[in-house]
Amino acid sequence: MGKTSSLRFILSIFGSGIALTKLLASLLLTWLTLGWKVRKARKAFEKQLIKQGMAKDDAKRIGAQYAALKDNIENAFKQSLRARK
Amino acid sequence: MSEEPKKKKTAAEEAEEVRQILGAVSTEVPALIKSLIGAVFSEEAGRNMGRAAAAFYKELKDSGMPDDVAVKMTENYVGVFTSLGDILKQVGKKGKGVIPTEEGKEIGTKIEKVVKEKIAEKLREKEEQE
Repeated sequence: MGKTSSLRFILSIFGSGIALTKLLASLLLTWLTLGWKVRKARKAFEKQLIKQGMAKDDAKRIGAQYAALKDNIENAFKQSLRARK
Repeated sequence: MSEEPKKKKTAAEEAEEVRQILGAVSTEVPALIKSLIGAVFSEEAGRNMGRAAAAFYKELKDSGMPDDVAVKMTENYVGVFTSLGDILKQVGKKGKGVIPTEEGKEIGTKIEKVVKEKIAEKLREKEEQE
């Protein structure tokens, strides 16, 4: 019975490790692809503005605000991590 | 009608519980974060926000407003969304939140309670399936 219990314990630890790795990998991938997603969203955003007759430079300037939202959220997240320390 | 004494969990049982919790969290948390990001930073979200800003700009132009004024007002309109980021910054600052500290703690406790209930529910569902 002792051996079975130890084996179950080891398997559970191994399973926990896999789940944790999966979680961290998923979060890392999300963070890495965030910049690319924001660029695509910003291009689509600017395209709509230009369609309605706005100058390209003006559309780019307003699009920069949209991308700044991502930076604000990242900074807020980093600040909250620093605040915990 | 006697109550059974609480069975002390073995290390193996506790490890199994931790594995199940981590398993549920590793599935739910990334999906939640992806859906939150997708709601704001996907191509479709950008397109929709662009359409809204463009419609605002067009209305201003159609009403006879000069181009530079219309652009400035559209910039302010889009700025409403980015100011949400500033609010989040304030919430992140310790002790200087938009939400007062006591209320913030209460909200934190409530969120913790809801998350624990959800995890317990998921574990029960998994056990029933097994």
